[in-house]
Amino acid sequence: MKIAIIGANGFIGTRLVEQFHLGQLHEVVPIVRRPVSLALPARFALDWRIGDALNTASLAKAVTGCDAIVHAAMGDPRQIEAMPAVLADAAARAGIKRIVYLSTASVHGQSPAPGTDESSPLRTGHTLEYNDAKIRAERSFHDTCRRHGIAGFALRPGVVFGPRSRWITDLAADLRTGRAWLLDDGRGICNSIYVDNLAAAVAAALAADARHAGPYLVGDEETVTWREFYAGVATALGFDADQIPALKNIPDFRPGTAARLQSLAATPAVQSVLPLVPGLAKRTVKNLLVAAQLPASVDAWTLPSAPGPRITQELVLLQQCRVKLPHAAAARALQYRAPVPFATGLARSLAWLAFAEGRS
Amino acid sequence: MRSPLIQSPPISATAKGPLPVVLVGCGAVSQLFYLPTLRALTQRGELAVHSLVDPSASARDVLAAAFPGARPCDSLAACDAPRDSLIIIATPPRFHAAQTLESFGRGWHVLCEKPMASDVAECERMIAAARDAQRLLAVGLYKRFFPSSDYLKTLVDQGQLGRLRSFTIAEGGPFRWPAATTSFFNKAQTPGGVLLDIGVHVLDLLLWLLGEPARFTYRDDAMGGLETNSVVDLHYNDGAHGRVHLSRDWATANEYRFVFERGSVRWKTNDANGLTVELAGTPSALRAQLLAPLPLTPAADVLQPSNPQSFILQLSNVIAAVHGREKLRVSGEEGLRSLRLIAACYRERQWLEQPWLTDAEAARARILAAQP
Repeated sequence: MKIAIIGANGFIGTRLVEQFHLGQLHEVVPIVRRPVSLALPARFALDWRIGDALNTASLAKAVTGCDAIVHAAMGDPRQIEAMPAVLADAAARAGIKRIVYLSTASVHGQSPAPGTDESSPLRTGHTLEYNDAKIRAERSFHDTCRRHGIAGFALRPGVVFGPRSRWITDLAADLRTGRAWLLDDGRGICNSIYVDNLAAAVAAALAADARHAGPYLVGDEETVTWREFYAGVATALGFDADQIPALKNIPDFRPGTAARLQSLAATPAVQSVLPLVPGLAKRTVKNLLVAAQLPASVDAWTLPSAPGPRITQELVLLQQCRVKLPHAAAARALQYRAPVPFATGLARSLAWLAFAEGRS
Repeated sequence: MRSPLIQSPPISATAKGPLPVVLVGCGAVSQLFYLPTLRALTQRGELAVHSLVDPSASARDVLAAAFPGARPCDSLAACDAPRDSLIIIATPPRFHAAQTLESFGRGWHVLCEKPMASDVAECERMIAAARDAQRLLAVGLYKRFFPSSDYLKTLVDQGQLGRLRSFTIAEGGPFRWPAATTSFFNKAQTPGGVLLDIGVHVLDLLLWLLGEPARFTYRDDAMGGLETNSVVDLHYNDGAHGRVHLSRDWATANEYRFVFERGSVRWKTNDANGLTVELAGTPSALRAQLLAPLPLTPAADVLQPSNPQSFILQLSNVIAAVHGREKLRVSGEEGLRSLRLIAACYRERQWLEQPWLTDAEAARARILAAQP
């Protein structure tokens, strides 16, 4: 099949292009938003194209002649919500009848309830805006696909790791700067999926009977704890995993005034009136927001201390997960099997890290 | 603290008046680099922008707003700059040779942006044409004008830290150049990837600092297209050796590290007037900002030129060379050297192992990489 890969420059898109093209599985058409994003797809002699995932006409033109689309583009919450309808409309315009959309297991929250599967109802109102955006995006995806008679497969991977993944690079940086931590001794389940396994799920969705269109949770075969994930990376980088400190206090993640104002400013209503606000007023507010977020200056009479842990709300939520999300539905309907064991995936990810850092 | 460039009085240009300058190619490099440079040297009376040449009116308009007296032209043929003008060629490399030859035919001197041309044969034709026309051919390799580069060259040539033993260079990161078109990534239009793009600066500096390597090996990750990661290992007759790692893919350390017998020097990419020096046996490294030599009597520090000022100094040198006041610092012959090494790298290229690929993928990648 001739497959358009939207977001072909991202971490997942890049690996999809590599796997499909080098594995001679499909004819690949990488699609990126701007010329600046072509560096990685252009390593291959491929029919790469420019297409805007937020513009139906542009995207329809870019996917013309393809048999199916894989959507791996990223964006901010507003873009995430807007893209699926554009995607399905563009596919319909180009006469394409199958789309694989990369959703996320986070539609169930980072720490879902036991028994969660694809039949579990999705409810917005999550702590993280990203989760809600992905829920709305998935709904929009399925609605628009149904309207156009397109077979829409939405894959819900958990923690996707691999070459160029932030789960590898951020953890490596945190370990090296003494900012890594584990919650509850790392007993949480990380619902990992090595990027090649996600590519296998995409390939399975491309090959599946159109009657099986719908959402699918996908993951590695193994149940992997956060301690196991961290230990694998730490050991490879020469750190003692047992020395990774425990996170004792979970900070209050309620957004401060600056964050709330920034969130408000990002809403469509505020964005629509911003052009009417005088430039001086905008600059003044912006400068005040920047000043409010600057770290407090350090007293000259203070010895330097080790940096504290780098704590994000997403990671705190993820490390509280006690559920291995099932991929039985994908196994049944798509014949999905994760071909790469977790340990192999981690080893390949770390081999990439050495490559990227010029250590290989 | 002020820079000497800003502080010094305007050169009185110019016995012969401001040099007429034609700028061909009004894309990103012209808008980001040449626009402020031309403005600075116009204010100093060194040049006058005569014409702005680009088939795209919208690209021309950005520069025309800064130089309202310049004539907009959609082709070189439409440009009527007088003989002895200077033309700056800032178009994609595939146009450089033809535009240079046409310019010499019009009696203009040429400053050609890097890379000098698409291949060595074109460079050689350009050099021969300059000689025949008795015109000046300069190449835009402005990092040679960095005070940091000068400092390193002095250390290598004069041995204040002893003999150079080794070096490691890592430069690049995710591609962010505001390219308006896809030509950067189209193999039919641009004959090389990261090695030709940022490697041309790196290898030019190395050739300038250390001379020709005795031998080298070259690997990259192109698999039918253009490379985004490159590794060059170089060995020199005096035993020095080093590695250059270039990337358009992932953020590198963006630093050059030179290890001498009696100390090490670290240079962060594009830091035109700063170095970190570690003298062997001393308890700390020194992070240094380069200043003009200390005066005999107490006076304010004078910073050496910054990165943008170095770019301005490059054009200033070309203009001074046109007027016969200075020796041209980067000639066509000098520009050719790095392209010759790059061409040799591409001829000798090996596939850069990508250890996350499966065995079957790697086997296929090797086949694709071996195709011309």
